[in-house]
Amino acid sequence: MFSLNNQLELRRVTISSLNTCIYLPSIVTIVSYKGLLYSIGNGSSFYVLVLIFIAELLKSFYLSSSNDIQGKKIKLNKNRAGDIVKSFLFLLGTLTSFFVGIILFGAPVLDYHEETLMLSTLLTLLTVFPLIAYTGVESSMQLLFGVRSYAKDTVIDMLVTNALLTVCGAWLGAIVIPLDWNTPWQQWPIPCYLGAIGGYLLANVLTVLKVTLMSAAYKYPSLNFLVNILNKLCISK
Amino acid sequence: MKEKWNFILYLVWFSYLILSAIIMFGHGFLLSRKALSDISECLPLKEFGCDGRELATSTAKGSCKDEEKILRILANRGAPVTCATTRHRVVFILVDALRYDFTEYDDSLVKPLHYQNKLPVLRETLEKWPERTRLFRFMADPPTTTLQRVKALVTGSLPTFIDASSNFAAMELQEDNIIDQVAKGGGKAVLLGDDTWSRLIPGKWLRSHAQYSFHTWDLDTVDTEVDSKIYNELKSHDWDLLVAHYLGVDHAGHRYGPNHPEMARKLNETNSRLRKIIEFLPPDVLLYVVGDHGMTESGDHGGESKAERTAAFFAYRSSGLGGEKSEIETGREVQQTDLAPTLSAALGRPPPSPSLGSILLAVLPEMTMTETLLHFSNNMKQITHYLIRYGEESQQISLDKLANLINITRDHVERAASISTNDELNNYIIDVRVLVDNVRGVFREVWVEFDSLSMLRALLLMLLAIFFNWLLTEGLPMERLPAVFASSFVPSGFISMIVCIGLCYTGYYFKMFEDLEHAIILSTGMVSGFIVCALIIMHWDGITQRWYEGRSQFYERFSRSALVGSAAVLVSNSYIIEEGATLSYLTLSVLALMAWNTGTIKALALWVCCGVVMTVSRIYRGCREEQGDCWTTGGAVPSGQASRIALVMALGSMAGVVVLVRRHTGWRGHGVVVAGCFACAHWAVGWGSLGSPSRSRLLARGAWLVIATMLGLLWKKEGQGATLPLTVCALLLYVANTLVLGAAYAPSASLALLAGFLALNIVSLLKTEGSTKLSITTRCSSSVACMWALLASYQFYGMGHHATLGHVRWGPAFHAGDPNYLPEYPVAIGHIVIGSLVFIDLFGMQLMFGAAVPLLALWGRNGAAAAGPRTQLAAVFSLCLKFVLCFAIRVFAIAISATVHCRHLMIWGVFTPKLLFESGACAAALLGTLIGATLTVRHLPTPQRTS
Repeated sequence: MFSLNNQLELRRVTISSLNTCIYLPSIVTIVSYKGLLYSIGNGSSFYVLVLIFIAELLKSFYLSSSNDIQGKKIKLNKNRAGDIVKSFLFLLGTLTSFFVGIILFGAPVLDYHEETLMLSTLLTLLTVFPLIAYTGVESSMQLLFGVRSYAKDTVIDMLVTNALLTVCGAWLGAIVIPLDWNTPWQQWPIPCYLGAIGGYLLANVLTVLKVTLMSAAYKYPSLNFLVNILNKLCISK
Repeated sequence: MKEKWNFILYLVWFSYLILSAIIMFGHGFLLSRKALSDISECLPLKEFGCDGRELATSTAKGSCKDEEKILRILANRGAPVTCATTRHRVVFILVDALRYDFTEYDDSLVKPLHYQNKLPVLRETLEKWPERTRLFRFMADPPTTTLQRVKALVTGSLPTFIDASSNFAAMELQEDNIIDQVAKGGGKAVLLGDDTWSRLIPGKWLRSHAQYSFHTWDLDTVDTEVDSKIYNELKSHDWDLLVAHYLGVDHAGHRYGPNHPEMARKLNETNSRLRKIIEFLPPDVLLYVVGDHGMTESGDHGGESKAERTAAFFAYRSSGLGGEKSEIETGREVQQTDLAPTLSAALGRPPPSPSLGSILLAVLPEMTMTETLLHFSNNMKQITHYLIRYGEESQQISLDKLANLINITRDHVERAASISTNDELNNYIIDVRVLVDNVRGVFREVWVEFDSLSMLRALLLMLLAIFFNWLLTEGLPMERLPAVFASSFVPSGFISMIVCIGLCYTGYYFKMFEDLEHAIILSTGMVSGFIVCALIIMHWDGITQRWYEGRSQFYERFSRSALVGSAAVLVSNSYIIEEGATLSYLTLSVLALMAWNTGTIKALALWVCCGVVMTVSRIYRGCREEQGDCWTTGGAVPSGQASRIALVMALGSMAGVVVLVRRHTGWRGHGVVVAGCFACAHWAVGWGSLGSPSRSRLLARGAWLVIATMLGLLWKKEGQGATLPLTVCALLLYVANTLVLGAAYAPSASLALLAGFLALNIVSLLKTEGSTKLSITTRCSSSVACMWALLASYQFYGMGHHATLGHVRWGPAFHAGDPNYLPEYPVAIGHIVIGSLVFIDLFGMQLMFGAAVPLLALWGRNGAAAAGPRTQLAAVFSLCLKFVLCFAIRVFAIAISATVHCRHLMIWGVFTPKLLFESGACAAALLGTLIGATLTVRHLPTPQRTS
């Protein structure tokens, strides 16, 4: 699905994915090293979300930094405040729908609101927020409702893959909750939380892997076989 | 359109295959045993005359010595069971999972493991007072689970999973047992510890300090509680039997395994506890310390390995115990069934009626020879009586065998009178023991051993039926279906089955084999497999072509894997316990992907509504015992009597449904309205203390009458397609469901109806590939059937049921009056009515969803209803078959899992009930689908000549 036409974008995508592959595992490692991994669903671990927020923001700045420099800067400057308010509202809306969706899927209705809220914040941060930060509110809404197709844009393609795999990760995380192992990490919402992070990470690793393979296949055509397999995987999703 | 009935016949054929395989599996797997309600009685000695007859018939009314009297009684072979003259008090301490090697003490061990050498007190007393102390291996029979063991200890029998008795619902013990005997003899019993006892035998205790026993992770609470009470109890004199049940060792085993410091701690505690109890024990009181089962090296139990079966039996009495030299040897193997007759002999009672053990003299105080003989003849009389009664009530054991056993036991009763020397007595005791072992062996064969051959055959038959029908539905192109069914396929299938049955009868007549039912099921199953296989081979070109061309979408594959996943997780007890949540999770995920595939706001809104409905239905879901926290906090289970709010909710939901559907269902809507009104009136009139139960019952009968009439009227042909009759059928089944569920649970049925309606609408929105106006292939894909099956399975939990026998509600059987008062025709109609009402209560939703399956294809503007009758029929048929296949797959999965886990700790608590309920759900789905399909065929528009 990626093309080698736009070398610059490809490079940006690779570097930002690499960044994710480094910073997310480090956050998780540090948290678990400090013995706080099992409190990750509490409000007290809000700083993890803040860290992810900052990292994603920086990444999106990097991704969109030199994207036709003249055109976009002027646009942004025009109504920056309005844009921020809009995107904030949009994020809030996404957060709420994630929250409601998670409860519908089986999270406790009357208690554990804090934990559910943390999980939905994480999901919002990992799925919709990078999209908004990169393309702006209107185009991401268009993307979401399927008005515009994103087939051509490498960066958006990567972001959408990330989002889908994140949600899949959180979905798969729920599998371990009913087991009667009585381990501390089976507490709501830790498996889903870690599953979401794992899914996001996997998506980024896949991106890096694919770009590397593609550029290697450019030199050694025998590797095209692997690239095809990866592409098939992406289509079947 | 001659072939249209062939479709129905094929569905009947398929139902027969699946159900017969299930029944065959059940025969091999469900060990059952008839529980008799007989109670052992004994006459006190003073009721006998000097000639050994009862006072009423006695000719010698004078006075004589007890000894003489007993000898006369022994000589009188027709004399009833006589109460023993001496009574002792007994302290019975059950240390759960006390394996025999925990009690051994070996000085030579340099580095004992955590469970070795931790009970030195037993060895010390043995060495100090060999005449007061006994230590035996106490052999348990499988299943070695605590509930079954406690039953075995108090009844002296071999409990199985299903102890079929007159009252199936309660956990309460239905058979005669020690505690009942104590209470009957005017004695008193005190209970400390595990609440299994108080649930098995409620209301028979002088004092009962029972503790909730399901927190397997809590090692200490129950034990400390018992400790705080037991020493005071030992001091008081008002009891005859003191039962104390310690759980800590078992829980330590479950949590950590035997070789762990925690086990050492629990055993050390037990050691000091026993030391103190022996110190406190009054001199004439018997102390029995037993383990109910052992444990494996991982700390589990339930199976039949040596380590699980070998428990310990420690007996102590400071005034000394009896028994011959050969019998008192430490480490001798004694059977757990022997405990009940022994205990009752100590307490001066006859053995409990179902007991299959012999008396252990080694743990009883020294007795005179006449007294010993009296005990043994009582024992023999009781076993004879049990053999006769069991032969009357059940045909499990062949009559020749039983008659033979009965004769030998009678001989032994007579022999008791002729014994005069000690040697003769010892020989007699040994003979009795061999005889009792024989009797027990005969019963063990039918009660304890699985019939693995028929289990495997049943699994094979199920696999055959599922596999070939899966090929038929997934492979065979739908255009070919009408042609296939117009051919002689179905009639030839039926003819060959009839031939099979005829052959089986002939073979049976000429005594070529014994089990007719088995042979019929096996042969018909195999033959059907061959016939369908032949059909598949004939159409292999079409199947390969369809698979080559077909490419399914992601949501379709996901939906199929969700169903397979929901079946696969049935191998894990945790998922079975939490199945309600799992099913709702999977259903909503499938529906979400369907809505995503549609991609419209309407689909999204429908999905959200569906999610909300499922979330609200969680209120009714309740919880089962294993869900610890939820269970102990009461689980918010609506109880039998509806509260005011529940009544309002029930009336409101029913009124809402009736008002909304009336206009859209034509003249049939009025029937639904009338039935609904009757149901509402039934609840309102019967509610609270002001209500009139008799009138309320009358109204319920009215409602049933209306429902039955309307179901009959549904068959009236109108030529307007099948959608409307099917909808009305589903609505009527809904009203029937609410009636049996009662006011407390009625809203949950409305929620299920709503969820089904919303899912139906999501399905009708599904995008179609290609340019055809009708979306038949999409609508009939297996993904839709899988989603529908998941939703239907969820409704079992949505109605507040759980897959445990304790959760079966029996109230519904009596909401319209007691069916037992119905006139008894050759068949007991009352029992059939009770059975079907409870069946509707449990599986009514599967019935309703099954009847609504054709709607999946017909519903909506782009449904198959607009297509020609042939296509319509083929679509409905393939959808119905896929739907029931889903249920068959789930039953197959749980049957496999029960086979694999047949020696699992939770097999009787979790897997077997799940198997039973899943089979019931499958049967309900089959029945419902048949109703729906038949209705569709009946209301099919007449074909145009041109087609």
